[in-house]
Amino acid sequence: MNRTDALIELDQVTKSFGAFQVLKGISLAVKDGEAVCIIGPSGSGKSTILRCINGLIPINSGSIRVGTHEVHKMKTEKEMRPLRHQVSMVFQQYNLFPHRTALQNVMMAPVQVLGHDRREVEARARRLLAKVRLSEKADAYPGQLSGGQQQRVAIARALAMEPQVILFDEVTAALDPETVKEVLTAIRELVDEGLTCILVTHEMKFAREVADRVCFTDHGRIVESGPPAQIFDAPQDPRTREFLGQVL
Amino acid sequence: MALIATYAGKKRTVQLGIALALVAWVALDATGGGGEGWARVWARLPILLTGNGSGWPLSGGFALNVFLSLCAMAMAALLGTALGFGMLAKNRLVRVPCFFVMNFLRNSPWLVLLFAMLYIIPFNVRLFGVSIAIPAFAKAVIGLALPTAANFAEIIRGAVQSIHSGQWEAARALGYMPMAIYGRIILPQALRRMIPGWMNLYALLMIATSLATVTGIQDVITTLNTLLAMENERVIVYFYITALFLFFAFCYPLALLARRMEQSVKGDSL
Ligand SMILES: Nc1ncnc2c1ncn2[C@@H]1O[C@H](COP(=O)(O)OP(=O)(O)O)[C@@H](O)[C@H]1O
Ligand SMILES: [Mg+2]
Repeated sequence: MNRTDALIELDQVTKSFGAFQVLKGISLAVKDGEAVCIIGPSGSGKSTILRCINGLIPINSGSIRVGTHEVHKMKTEKEMRPLRHQVSMVFQQYNLFPHRTALQNVMMAPVQVLGHDRREVEARARRLLAKVRLSEKADAYPGQLSGGQQQRVAIARALAMEPQVILFDEVTAALDPETVKEVLTAIRELVDEGLTCILVTHEMKFAREVADRVCFTDHGRIVESGPPAQIFDAPQDPRTREFLGQVL
Repeated sequence: MALIATYAGKKRTVQLGIALALVAWVALDATGGGGEGWARVWARLPILLTGNGSGWPLSGGFALNVFLSLCAMAMAALLGTALGFGMLAKNRLVRVPCFFVMNFLRNSPWLVLLFAMLYIIPFNVRLFGVSIAIPAFAKAVIGLALPTAANFAEIIRGAVQSIHSGQWEAARALGYMPMAIYGRIILPQALRRMIPGWMNLYALLMIATSLATVTGIQDVITTLNTLLAMENERVIVYFYITALFLFFAFCYPLALLARRMEQSVKGDSL
């Protein structure tokens, strides 16, 4: 791929927690509008990759670029603010703010961080809640919602920042099988609309359907990557084969 | 659920038993001349409560304990807030001394701190050539506020750190700055967990105001001792029971309310 037209570019990224090296040289390029799925065994560093991309954790070496932002050069939260505007994130544990209603959760950051007009944000928030089919739950607190509903609010909250990229970190892993579908449907719509997405997921069927590209990670390295048909039907690396053998 | 029901049932039976035993004892005792003792207490009750034979104006007694506890709590809230956030600071140079101070104050006996204040704080200070006398009451306030502040700070730290780290992460991912994260996301949640702890602490502080008699202020204990010097030995026990009951009646509802709030906060996040 031509590197310069990539929206997100990681080059030889390493990251250690103490003496333990979690990422051992990750290189990855994601084009605008592309949907990339990251699969791999638990503990292989998938979440860490996402957290490095939006600067939640600093890296030890290598470089990360998102649009014009050089993430590895940013030191303070203040410098990262434009990056956080451009890159949203959805978490496995939803992490909604429990003391605020669904609507307030969606509206908070655009009003308080981006300084957008409250009335305009409210209209946007209601539109987004409708998009994830939760209009009638606007005034419910997170504690009153099911896991799947909370996760869809979290997706609406991420979208309300009007990001260019959304990072999804195993967003269905904490959900009941019945509610997984409603969340995946919401994500699929975003991918179809052409939003750039990086998804860490264990839903192999979903990955095959929505991803433009699948990356398999193991022990802090991207072992293999390619179109879903290639990864799932003709994996090259023995580790990929072993992993897929276990989960499929 | 069944287990909880039987536990609550047992507890209620025990409470009822204690109450009945108390009533029975008082009734039995009254037949043996106890009524006279209670009559003495009744006659002195205004002094015990207000430090004043006619009950007004408030010049001491139990009212002074209440006032003392409120002053000490206010001071502890100020000191404790500073100390608590000091312990949460990123900077080691701030955090480590705050931890040291907190641990020192929290692990000192309250009575020792009171005595220390009595001797460390001078009777007079000279400010711009004017000599200002420091009343015993101020020393009692400071002496009680110090350990309370340390506990107050620990409650803040505990509540803030009990907020799931995912809240920080989500807020940072949305572009919030650290101060805004505290103000808009962490503290509003943590406050609900602090308030019951603070209420329990206040109840403890109220009980500890009885120690302040060592500073010589005319609180309910000092008043009691003065009164008892003039009383018949046989009625002393009735006075002490009354003093006990005053503290209990003030503190127990607070503790109950705190417990109820704790339970309503439980499980409200995540
Ligand atoms: N903050 C942290 N401190 C120490 N170790 C961590 C931290 N975060 C993650 N790790 C470790 O890094 C490894 C990879 O974590 P993670 O990226 O969450 O894996 P995955 O998402 O693929 O399951 C794990 O072994 C985990 O224990
Ligand atoms: Mg993970």
